[in-house]
Amino acid sequence: TELAELRLAHKSNITFNMLGTLPVSGIITSAKDGSPIIGASVFVKGNPKIGTSTDASGKFKLGIPDNITSITLVVSMVGYEPQTVVLSASQTTVSVTLKESVQNIQEVVVTALGVKKDKKALAYSVTEVSGSEFTQARETNLANALSGKIAGVNATSLATGAGGSSRVVIRGNGSLSGDNQPLYVINGMPIDNSTPGGSPTTGGSGHNVDRGDGIGGINPDDIESISVLKGGTAAALYGSRAANGVILITTKKGTVRKGIGVEYNATATIDDVVDFTDWQYMYGQGDGGVKPTSQAQAVSWGRRSWGAKMDGQPYIAFDGKEHPYSPQQNNIKNFYRTGSTLSNTISFSGGTEALNFRASVADINNKSVLPNSTFNRKVANLSINAKLSERISMEALAQYNLEKAHNRPSAGDAPGNPNWANYMIANTVDIRWMDPGYDATGREVQWNETPYASNSYFVVNKFRNDDTKNRFIGQFGLKYDILKNLFVKGNISRDFYSYDFTGIIPTGTVYTTNAAGEYQGIKSTVTENNSMLTVNYNTDLGPVHMNAMLGGNQRSFERSEIYTNGTQFIIPNFYSFTNLTTATTRPVTQRLATNSVFGSLDLDYKGVLFLNASARQDWFSTLGIKNNTILYPAVGTSFVLSQATEMPSFVNYAKLRASWAQVGGGVPDPYTLNQSYSMVTSSGQPLQQITMTNGEYLLNNPSLKPFTSTTWEAGLDTKLFNNRLGVDLTYYLRRTTNDIVKTAISGTSGYQNTYVNVGQVDNSGIELLLTGSLVKTKNFSWNTSFNLAYNKNRVVQLTEGVNTIQLATSVGSWAFVNTDAGRPYGIIKGYTMVTDSKGNIVYDTSTGYPVKGPIKEIGQGVAPLTTGFSNSFTYKNWNLDILLDGKFGNDVFSVMNVYATRFGLQQKTLAGRDNGLVLNGVTANGDSYTRTVPVSQLRLYYDNLKNYSDLFVYDGSFIKLRQIVLGYKIPAKYLGFAKIQSASISFVARNLFVLYKKTENFDPESSYTNSNAQGFEAFGLPRARSYGINLTVKF
Amino acid sequence: CDNGFEELNINPDTSPIIVPSYMFSKAQYDALNNSCASTYEFAAGGSIQHFSTYKDVPGIGDKYFFSQGTYPYDFFNNAYPLSVNEVQTVINAVKNDPAQVNLYAIARIWRAYTFHRITDLYGDIPYSDAGQGYTSSKFTPKYDTQQSVYLDMLKELEQAATSLDATKSSYASADIVYGGDVTKWKKFAYSLMLRLSMRMTKVDAATAKTWAQKAIAGGIILDDKDLAKVQYIANGQDINKNPVSLALRGNNYAVADGNNNTEGGKFSNTFISFLKANKDPRLSSIAVVWVDKKQDTTATIQKGMQNGLLQKPADFITYSEPNINTVLKLDAPMVVISNAEMNFLMAEAIVRGWASGDAASYYQGGISASMRNMAIYGDAAAISTAKINAYLATHTFPASFDAQMEQIHSQMWVSLFPDEVEVYSNWRRTGYPKLTPVNITGNLTNGTIPRRLIYPIVEENLNGPNLKEAISRQGANTLTTRIWWDKN
Repeated sequence: TELAELRLAHKSNITFNMLGTLPVSGIITSAKDGSPIIGASVFVKGNPKIGTSTDASGKFKLGIPDNITSITLVVSMVGYEPQTVVLSASQTTVSVTLKESVQNIQEVVVTALGVKKDKKALAYSVTEVSGSEFTQARETNLANALSGKIAGVNATSLATGAGGSSRVVIRGNGSLSGDNQPLYVINGMPIDNSTPGGSPTTGGSGHNVDRGDGIGGINPDDIESISVLKGGTAAALYGSRAANGVILITTKKGTVRKGIGVEYNATATIDDVVDFTDWQYMYGQGDGGVKPTSQAQAVSWGRRSWGAKMDGQPYIAFDGKEHPYSPQQNNIKNFYRTGSTLSNTISFSGGTEALNFRASVADINNKSVLPNSTFNRKVANLSINAKLSERISMEALAQYNLEKAHNRPSAGDAPGNPNWANYMIANTVDIRWMDPGYDATGREVQWNETPYASNSYFVVNKFRNDDTKNRFIGQFGLKYDILKNLFVKGNISRDFYSYDFTGIIPTGTVYTTNAAGEYQGIKSTVTENNSMLTVNYNTDLGPVHMNAMLGGNQRSFERSEIYTNGTQFIIPNFYSFTNLTTATTRPVTQRLATNSVFGSLDLDYKGVLFLNASARQDWFSTLGIKNNTILYPAVGTSFVLSQATEMPSFVNYAKLRASWAQVGGGVPDPYTLNQSYSMVTSSGQPLQQITMTNGEYLLNNPSLKPFTSTTWEAGLDTKLFNNRLGVDLTYYLRRTTNDIVKTAISGTSGYQNTYVNVGQVDNSGIELLLTGSLVKTKNFSWNTSFNLAYNKNRVVQLTEGVNTIQLATSVGSWAFVNTDAGRPYGIIKGYTMVTDSKGNIVYDTSTGYPVKGPIKEIGQGVAPLTTGFSNSFTYKNWNLDILLDGKFGNDVFSVMNVYATRFGLQQKTLAGRDNGLVLNGVTANGDSYTRTVPVSQLRLYYDNLKNYSDLFVYDGSFIKLRQIVLGYKIPAKYLGFAKIQSASISFVARNLFVLYKKTENFDPESSYTNSNAQGFEAFGLPRARSYGINLTVKF
Repeated sequence: CDNGFEELNINPDTSPIIVPSYMFSKAQYDALNNSCASTYEFAAGGSIQHFSTYKDVPGIGDKYFFSQGTYPYDFFNNAYPLSVNEVQTVINAVKNDPAQVNLYAIARIWRAYTFHRITDLYGDIPYSDAGQGYTSSKFTPKYDTQQSVYLDMLKELEQAATSLDATKSSYASADIVYGGDVTKWKKFAYSLMLRLSMRMTKVDAATAKTWAQKAIAGGIILDDKDLAKVQYIANGQDINKNPVSLALRGNNYAVADGNNNTEGGKFSNTFISFLKANKDPRLSSIAVVWVDKKQDTTATIQKGMQNGLLQKPADFITYSEPNINTVLKLDAPMVVISNAEMNFLMAEAIVRGWASGDAASYYQGGISASMRNMAIYGDAAAISTAKINAYLATHTFPASFDAQMEQIHSQMWVSLFPDEVEVYSNWRRTGYPKLTPVNITGNLTNGTIPRRLIYPIVEENLNGPNLKEAISRQGANTLTTRIWWDKN
């Protein structure tokens, strides 16, 4: 058949130009717009070894041996319908136009181990997104750009600025405490996605910064496509780390062409902070209804907006100067600056069938909205593919990253957090009065009673943190074709980075010991090595096509870190590790390995019925030798209904699929089995202590066994109405059993955390993808895509001795993120006011405050419903893409609103300002109770509200106008003078508007950590709108 | 397929082997360096009106505020994973080896010392299940009643004291209190036994008497040479420095100018006035006023700041604070149990008729021991014999029981400084000296001095049912609930 010949032709990739041949040349163009088609394949029918592909101008040349008399050429190109052209005798030139294929059945996607498969053969859901979707409206972290694009993928970009990390969760959190993020794989080999020094913590202070993750270092311009493998079947071949899904990235390769192809892409964007606060501006700084009358009082009341009615009259502020007692509503805008990001990528590609390459260099330069904070990333990428002989081919990839961040913003608690004061400063104080933040001696100027609430200007002007990451990703693969249908393939890859962080809390910082500062250093090297060998065999058994694969993989990971910490610089302002009063050096080494063997079998009956089966066995170094291995299988089937039976005419294509898969896994961290002892640096007697793991007292557990995650999945994939409407529907159930959970335990056990195997967690849900080609005319088209995913998470059971799993606590222990049996993952727990059966608040008559009830569930931290809606329009050379996305059903506990209530900034605190606040309720005995809180005590009343956490829980649902791209393709006729093949320019905008939200004073997407502690907001960097211009030129 | 995996899973930076003596030194340090700012100064030191602050957040003892932070939880949270687990791990390592009987006995004594501090601050606490996470997978330890904790500690002290054997090896220099001296540890065990038994006078006088008599018969610390104290090092790692000095100098008194006190702290008016009124020579050993950026120890200019202030007073700099060259030296020794305290408790036991001897001479012995021991803070703090005698001449032992108790315990209130946790316990038991609480709007105790600290809120989340049981038995988890030995 023609199709079989096509396959063969693609495989041969060899051009013949022999003596005694007839030269035939031609041009291949698109029927749509007459543009040349580059890389189309042309070969002689019945003799596929005589073939070539078109060059950059769509032209080809072929030498046809004289012995071939009647010449029929087959011309094909992905995305177009193949054509055969019969040449008349002695015809030597030909021009062919190809029509875009309507029946897009031959949809090839990249699946596990980088194998390309026909989409209809897949028994599970795979979504592929092309690289160009990430390049125009670029995010500095690639993973953030996944937001709203794929059903079932919950991408959370964090409030930590450029160079920060992202959190991606596919089909819900399956693990109660492990890393729920997917495995990232480039060209079939895993990469490291760790965050050096760990993720920021809720109550962290000082340099509590997000140091960025591994996926952030991938340049969108180097990406050909991204496949998201959501189900266990898809992931089974990647082993335990694929239990949370796999994101497969295929990088761009060299192309066979004449000369060198050059592509240049530049994006310039600016970021403007968005102020979500809506404080009260009626009553100004002060306490008890009185404004400050001295500088000392203004400092004492620095974060109290409990004063008199604003009257515009002069008053003394913390700086000792007189200022009008008037609202200061623009502290956020006044403190932050306009940020900017400039990114440039240039790539070169070229080569022959025997050897082709692509090389690119990229530079991203970000100036944060936070003053004095910058980030730079340079990425060089080289990809080489070669056909070394008729049987041996080779592929190699090398990427080098150099990333430098200066003054990454910190989040969490107030000390050292440059965002804190900007929100919490009293409402008649202009934040700029703090500038520059230090006095003549270099000491931090205090604007409020506690030294722990840092002066923002002092932080941005004097705090310093710098880090440099040198990263190298290398991949090398060899393939040897033993027979036509039997090949062996070996790949090795290494992802290596060295990371160097220095954080200086400077001399003069008032919260540090003797105001003499602190030092924090991290030197870290991380290596992720993988080697894999596979043998592939395919054959036809009658009507059944069979493909079998056997393989083995060795993974090793090593992290080697040195933490250098110290306090109190001896010589002021000299910031070296050698200049510290106390200093400690702590090495951390982590080594782990996983060995695996695996196999898979694919059967294809006449392109109608498909069956895949696979199995994998893993051995984990992190588990006890008796419990360290697990075997897990997967099976799946798909059935192309539309090809097997007569369907109604509006059905162009219909496929049913079902699969069942298991994935097993070990402990993510090494050395968790047996207790060990560490020496403590001492100037006196030698000291030994029970080893701390990552700064915590971790109880070691020698009896841990592997966990399993089992996925059932069924789906329907159809194309209807002349392929105008596509429906892809999936139902899944993912069940994790014996999950290995790190949980906080009562410190009275002697330890703070432990790993245990825990019961069962179920995630079930549906994913729906609707694609529509609504209008399609010669000049105008409108395509739309809507995705929706609902994930229901339920923790079915926990284990004995564990009542609840605590994932995180807020500052002040006002709220917790927990996991309880029978409830969804990550519920928010806290306290409420006790009420009687009629809903009256019960008051404690001795304190006059509402009685605080026992701890209970007050919200859900993870959104069960996520959706995305994109529309793209083209008109002639113009295109417009609009993306909306939304999440629904989660809650956020707002630490900022707790403080805003305590400090009298929240609108709600206006009640009672004039004549006191009347409280009505009942006593514990049921008698009616009433009390008037006088104005002088109002602050203490509102301050006490922090004890009722549910008052600060907000519905986190939102709909955002995420992205707009308006592009213009400059017609080729204007470009010829500069030998430019194509050029386009676009206006891009991201995070433009929040169309729907329920939160007060903060953006619903304000998470500040990529850890499992989702459901808290705490003074992250404010969100920004980005606008910019993107330019792409091809030479 | 798992070749070499076991070896790979061994942390190259840690040892699989415990050295009990090294761990014991750490357990000793950690029992003493627990939250020395928040618990010693802010909570206990404020409650007994040794210290004051004009700020809210550290005002837990000063004005009975708790608006934010972890101050009332710190001692509890730090104790278990550090000192408790460490001393328990030492005990597990040595208990079955007859050759290490002294290591075992001294660790048991130290465990009792460690636990009595926790229970005195909180009441019912995890005790029998505590620190058993690794050995018995006990993740949710039950709370034992304070009564049972006390009885078990007394039994432990008795058994440990009698099992000490001078012919066997001991900790030697790894014991930072006594250098492994078995005879002195015996006295320490009986002294702690006396402290614990006297603590029970309000709630169970009969049991108190029985154990007090056992303790006195066993032999307690009465002479200077037996003083239980830890020597520290001024230059070196933080763990080797006096933890109270380190905490207070790292916090309130960091700037060392008398004006920029981080948490707004000063000596309390009650404390300084008492010392001045009694012409106490210890005043100049411990207190200073900053004048022209220099510490001035002149007695006449010393004055304390009143408790319960909400704003920084304009004359803040003129109030007294601890001397950073004596009691807050980084290498100031820390007294664990003093002969002063034991002399006072002997006087009380005699007054109660539980022991024989001259109560007045023990009383005066307590005062003079305390004054002599000021010399451990250096020459600048040392008090001459003449001054001691002059003080004793004007502080004779009164006649009536109540007056005697008031004198003994007011003296303990001064003499045990800066062991604020013990002063706080002794004050709660005896009520002496009589302190006038402040009553600031918004306080959590209805204007009464706190009677305990609060269990950490995180226990409610992680050990809920056990905590609930303790609260239902003991009373609400508030500052005002009285613990078992602190009967009304």
